This record gives sequence, structure tokens and C-alpha cells, in this order.
Amino acid sequence: MLKYIIRRIIVAIPVLIGVSVLCFIIIQMAPGDFLDQLRINPAISKETIDKMTHQFGLDKPVVEQYFMWLKSAVTGNFGYSYSYRRPVSSLIWSRAYNTFILAITSLIFSWIIGIGLGIFSALHKYTAADHILTVLAFIGLATPAFFLGLILLYFAARTGTFPITGMTSVNHEHMTTIGKIVDILKHLFLPMLALGLIRLVGIMRQMRGQLLDVMHEDYVLFAVAKGMPRNVVIYKHALRNAINPLITMFGYALASLLSGALIIEIIFSWPGLGRLIYNALLEQDVYLVMGSLLISSAMLIGGNLVADILLAWADPRVRLR
Amino acid sequence: MGRKFLVIVFVLLLSAAISLAVETEYRVEPYHGQYGGTLINPSLGSGPKTLNPTVARETSSTDIIDRFLDFLIELDQYGTIQSEGRLAKSWDRLEGGKVWIFHLRKGVLWSDGVPFTADDVVWSFDKVWENPKIPSGGQDVIKDAEGNFPGVEKIDDYTVKFTLKMAFRPFLRSVGLTQILPKHVLAKSVEDGTFQQQWTVNDVDKIVGTGPFIPSEYVSGERVVLKRNPHYWRKDLDGKVLPYLDGEVFKIIADQNAILLAFESGEVDHMGPRSADYPRLRKEAVQKGFVVGLDGPTFGTQFFCFNFNTPDPVKRKWFRNEYFRKAVAYAFDKESVINTAYNGLADAQWSAVSAAAKYFYDPKVRKYPFNLNFARAMLKLGGFKLVGGDLVDKDGNPVKFIITTNSGNTVREDMCNILVEKLKQLGMDVTFAPQDFNSLVKKLLNTGDWEGLMIGLTGGVDPHSGSNVWKLDGDLHFWNYSPEKREYVKKQNDYYSPEWAKEIDTIYKQETTVSDEEAKVLFNKFQETVAEHLPLIYTVQQKYIYAYSKKVHNMAPTAFGGRIWNEYAIWKEK
Repeated sequence: MLKYIIRRIIVAIPVLIGVSVLCFIIIQMAPGDFLDQLRINPAISKETIDKMTHQFGLDKPVVEQYFMWLKSAVTGNFGYSYSYRRPVSSLIWSRAYNTFILAITSLIFSWIIGIGLGIFSALHKYTAADHILTVLAFIGLATPAFFLGLILLYFAARTGTFPITGMTSVNHEHMTTIGKIVDILKHLFLPMLALGLIRLVGIMRQMRGQLLDVMHEDYVLFAVAKGMPRNVVIYKHALRNAINPLITMFGYALASLLSGALIIEIIFSWPGLGRLIYNALLEQDVYLVMGSLLISSAMLIGGNLVADILLAWADPRVRLR
Repeated sequence: MGRKFLVIVFVLLLSAAISLAVETEYRVEPYHGQYGGTLINPSLGSGPKTLNPTVARETSSTDIIDRFLDFLIELDQYGTIQSEGRLAKSWDRLEGGKVWIFHLRKGVLWSDGVPFTADDVVWSFDKVWENPKIPSGGQDVIKDAEGNFPGVEKIDDYTVKFTLKMAFRPFLRSVGLTQILPKHVLAKSVEDGTFQQQWTVNDVDKIVGTGPFIPSEYVSGERVVLKRNPHYWRKDLDGKVLPYLDGEVFKIIADQNAILLAFESGEVDHMGPRSADYPRLRKEAVQKGFVVGLDGPTFGTQFFCFNFNTPDPVKRKWFRNEYFRKAVAYAFDKESVINTAYNGLADAQWSAVSAAAKYFYDPKVRKYPFNLNFARAMLKLGGFKLVGGDLVDKDGNPVKFIITTNSGNTVREDMCNILVEKLKQLGMDVTFAPQDFNSLVKKLLNTGDWEGLMIGLTGGVDPHSGSNVWKLDGDLHFWNYSPEKREYVKKQNDYYSPEWAKEIDTIYKQETTVSDEEAKVLFNKFQETVAEHLPLIYTVQQKYIYAYSKKVHNMAPTAFGGRIWNEYAIWKEK
């Protein structure tokens, strides 16, 4: 097992390098650069622009720029952001933490409730409760996350129950530890709900369908026929088989943990990574974009690895070598 | 006996030290108010990127920097220079504007308590703004017409002398509005070459300034907190040292809709609404205690233009044809644009200088009110004719071209759509294809591969800021680059430089060495020439809209000053 993990990690290195080359090429192929906003400013001369181009190394050949970046990336320094004049890694980490809080809470929320409701729905097939859940699920699947976010925002503004923007209150620094936690939770609730509800309904439908499929398998029928208690049949045999595809889905969910919250972050002004990257893309702040893309790819590789390990743990038929 | 003697000596020394400390020459401001409160400002976007004025390039950063750094002169809320400045109490213009002596305000302290002196001013210009190793937008602003920096020297602790190679009319406004930095804090970083890595957003605890509020806390992507500067140099009519507020907070909000909701629910104290939000806020104003108002247009301009050096030689002929451009101007339905794109909250613009620049604005320029019959008459004069409903030029080529703008700017897209519809009624085959900003800039400035364009440029109080746009060899003379500037124009080998364009060029070469009154005459001529020959067809200008909570007092927003230009006098009910 440990050997398997180490091997997967070693294989990941050339993958990441390949990703970085591709990203760099695509960024360079995009028209324009970081200084375009200044170029169209009447107050700034071409001389100044030329000096800045030189200062940022934008006048060097693309290949040389890439290797300069790679050299510093190996030593853990992902370059300087042009607009912040700060190391990319420190910028990313300060924001990744906030996104992580939002993403992980909504992940836990949507998976626990989604799986629970899915099982409930499958076991109460075609009852009134199942029908209601099905209708709600279809509404949820048809609602884009940003729309739900806006509705929640509007609700909060009208009722004044929850704060509208940001992650902490203005006087956060002067609160007690418990006050600080409550403050963050209050700010967290709506964006978490917006992000979690949409995912929840998908998970619920998946879980319901998978469980119903498995419930019709011969071995489940056999277990029921030989008089095994219903709970053991469902939770020990049926559920364990039904949950495999969901574990793969969970791996992808982990992979999109840091990048999946962009729209919600913008709507709720959540100080997360998504907004940082989005602005870096718009401004063509090359190294900031590179750094964040690499983190996203690392998360994808890591998420897949975690999914594989979870799968091996849940399903004894899967062997990792 | 001995002890008593020591005490006397000590008291004498102490009083000597106190009398040595220079008394602050406060600037008295016409306000009354109460101390206390924290003003919550919205900051649209992703928040400040830096607090270093040589690095900052967008408003979310400069909005914070403007709070804690001051400059020499003072402007009122309309942009007029006041006789008593900020860090300079007064100044003398000598030798026909070639020498300027600034008398600094005495007794001003930096926020850390260190006295502000002439050394800070000399160092800021000599070592920072004029330093070739620290390229910044501010560097171009303080150069004279021939690209020379002013020489700066210290006369005594409170007197600074600037020496120019040539008289330069915009000098006072350009040098006088350049920020003065604390030498005692930053001198070392200039020497070791790390100046531009100083004062990043994470260095809030190191910031020192002379402004009313000093940054004290930065929470990435969420807010910047500023504290009152206890050493500020303004007083109110009652002799209270300003500012009234305990501090300010800039709340970073990514989206304009969220700012509106935050304002309505009291999370921020004021905002600049979009024209679409204006009716709604007006309706709520009485019930919720808002003040919602309008001011005249802003300084930026938006215009439509044609590329005189477009790749297709047939199209070049149309675009260089004055009658063709006049026809397009007559076909531009400003009334519809104002009503559909701006909710009625905009003014038609006819002159190359914004009406906001009150001194230099010339209202008497030629106007082109919407009239398709006039447009058809212009096309006829220009040699175009209609063949079966399609417009053709005198050689029989059908008039067909593409107009573009930067995609995502919905107002410009609306304007283009309205224009396209009218041009089609004239028999032109026009396609509207908006493009990504960066690729548009590349075509505009490098390759010249464009035909018609709707775009905007920033402007200022003094039309001098347009010299890079209007001079024939200007770097932003993008609709008709000179062959010396762009290779593609040289290759086409049919450079078109009409008399009127040369006249504008001459005006911009002369305006820097004359007096303001003479410059006004020159710029009137410039505005009339542009309106007559239409290299750029000006469109409409949005009005400045503001909204603030009634709890905030002494607010007086204007298009030039913004909402918190007089933040030192603003106070807030608890």
C-alpha cells in the first residue's frame, strides 16, 4: 500500500511538469500581457512601459521565461506576482485556507445529508416522501449555483438575519475566541448552503439509484431469502456495493475543492482563492495564474489518489499494487 | 541645594525643548462636527494589490494610498487649485515659470511622530519619482514637454526649489499632486534596490504617512482598516484637530450587486450606484434614510472612431473621408443611447474635452444631432450613392465594415448595437463583433488590424493629459499612427496627414509653454477642430451618481472628488 502511494506520487511529478508547460504555453498564446491596461493609459509613456517590460522579464524569450520559473519553482518559490509584488506561494496560501473552510464544510454538509437522504429515498421508494424529495432534487439540479446564491443573498438582505459579504465582521479582531468562531460560522452559513445544496441533490439521486440497482441483485435477494436481518442486508451488503461509484465521485469532488467555489465566492465576496485566480487571469498576472493552476492539478492528482485508497478500503475486491 | 538646582536645570531644559518644537501651522477647514465613529467604505473588486504608490495601478490600491499620503498643493472638490496647499503652505512662480519655490507647512509630523521637512520632498522626487530604476506612471507625469525631470533642491528645512529646463504650464498640477513619501522610513530600501517590494499589502504595520488615516490592518480579500492619524495638520472652525472619525474601513466586495445589498442593509455607509439602480434607491431614500444624488459628468470620455490605416485600401479611403465620418456622427442616436443604456442619467458629449473640466471645456463646438437625412446628405457629398438599397462608394465598392469594442462592457455594446442599426438604415453593411480587451489592445496599438471602434479614455482637469493621444507621433494616436511610429503604416505607403491634424499637433506642442489663459484659447481651437473634422466621434458621458446614509455627516460628493474627498471632516452618528 505504502509502496503504491509512493509510486503514485513519483508518477505525479512528470505529470505536473507537463501541466506547467501546457499552462505556460496557453498563457503565452493568449493575446496581450499584464501591461496592456497601462498601454492604453494616456498618461503613461512608451518608455515607462518598456522599462516595466524589462523589469518583469516580459522581453525575454518564452522558453527562457519558463525555465526561469521552473528553476525557482523547484526551490519552492513560484515567482512573484506582478500586481502584488509578493511571492505567489504566500498569496495563494493565505487565500487557499479560506476557500478550504468554505469547500470542506459544504462538502461534509452535502455528502452526509445527500447520502442519508439518498438511502432514505431508496428505502421508501415511491412513497410520498420519496416523490417530494425527487421533485426537490429536480428543482435543485435545474438551479444554477449562482442563482441560488443570489436568492439567498436577497433573502439575507431583506431579513437581516445573516451578514451579506465577507468572512468576518469589521470588528472581528476585537472578539473573543468563541465570538470569532460564531462570527465566521454566521458568515459561512449562506455560501456553504448555496454551494452545498446544489451538490447535495446530485449525490442524493446517485445514491438512490445505485442502492435501488443493488437491491435487485441476486445476492441481496438471496440474503433476504435466507432470513438475514434487514438492516444487515442493507447496510453491510447492499450499501457497501452501492457506494463504489460515489467514492470515485468523491475523489473528483476533492479535486475541485479549491476551484469549484469561484462563482459563490464572487457573489458572497468570500475572500477565497477563486477570486484571486479569476483576477489574476483577467490581469494576466502570469506567475500567479501558474501557481494556482499547479495547485489545482496537484489537488486533482491527490483527489484521485485518495479516491483510489478509499475504494480499496471500502471494496476488498479492489487491490492496489 | 544641589537637588533643587538640578530640578531647575531640568525644567529650563524641558521648556527649551518645547519651545524648539515648531508649532504646527494648521489648515483651517470650514466645518463643525463631532469626534468618533468608523466610516465603512465599499471597495469594488478584489481589493488593494499594493500600498506602494509607484506600483499601484488601479483604483482599489490608489483609493487606500490617497488616504495616508499627501502632496504639496490642494484641490477643491471640482479640481481647482487652492491658494493654500496641503504640505506646501504657499509657492512662488519665478522666472516665467522656470523656477518654483514651495514654502512648506511648518510643524507637520509623519504619523510616527517624526517631523516632515524639505528633506522628505527633495528625497521623494530625487530618489523615488525621478529614479530610472523605479519606473512608474507618476514618472511620466512630472516630466516636461521634452521629457526632462525638474531639478529639485532644498533651500532650508521648510523651503524647496524646483528648477525647470523650460517653462511648463502643467507643472504645478503635475508636481504638486505627486505624493511625498517618508524619507526616514524608505531611504534604505531605495539604496538596496528593494523599494518596489516595500509597502505591499502585508506591510500595513510599517506604513507611515501625513494623511488623515493610516492603514493598520489588512485581511486578504476582505478589508483594509485605517486608523486616525493623531498628528494630522487640519483643524475645524472650532479649533478641533481633524479628522473627526476614529478610522475608516474599506470593505472589499467583488460584485456591484452585493455592494448595493450591503449598502441597503447598512453594512457599508455609501456607494456609487449604477444608473439602473438609481430609481430603486431614490424610492427607498426617505424610508431608509439615504441621501441619493447626481453630479455632472465624469472626466472619462467615450468615442467612436475609424482606423485611417486599416489594412484594406478601399476602406482606408472611406474612413479618411470627412463626409463619411460626419454621416456616421449624424447617425449616432444619442437620445436612444442615453435612455436605453444609461436610464436617462447621461449627457451627450460633443467636445473632445469633458464638460467636467470646467475651465477648458468649450460648449460652442459643432454638434451633430441625430438626423438620418443629414447623414444621407453627407454621404452624397462624400461621393457615396445608394444602389438598390445598398450604399456604394464612387468606384462601386459596397460599404461594408466591422465595428468592435471590448466585450463585457455592456454599455459600449448597447451603444454599438444602436449605431449598427442606424447605419444599416443608411444602406451600410455593418457587423458588430466585440473582442476581448487584451486582443483589442494588441490590434489597436501594434498590428492596426481593425476598422471601426468604440472605446474610452481617461481624462483630467487639464486637456494636457491628452497630449499622448493627439500629437501626430503620440503613442496613443492609434487611429492614425505616423509611419515613424508604426511599421505597418510605413508599409502601406499612403500616410494621410491632413492640415487640421497638423494644427492639433501644433496646439499640443505650444500649450505647455504658455499661460493658462492662452492655453484656453488654444484648447478652444483644438476642440472646435476636432468637432469639425471628427477624427473621433464623441458619444455620451455618464452622470456621477452617489448614495450615502444620513448617519454620515459633512459628506459632499462630486464627480471630481468622489464621495470621501473631505474625509477629514466626515463624522458619523453612533
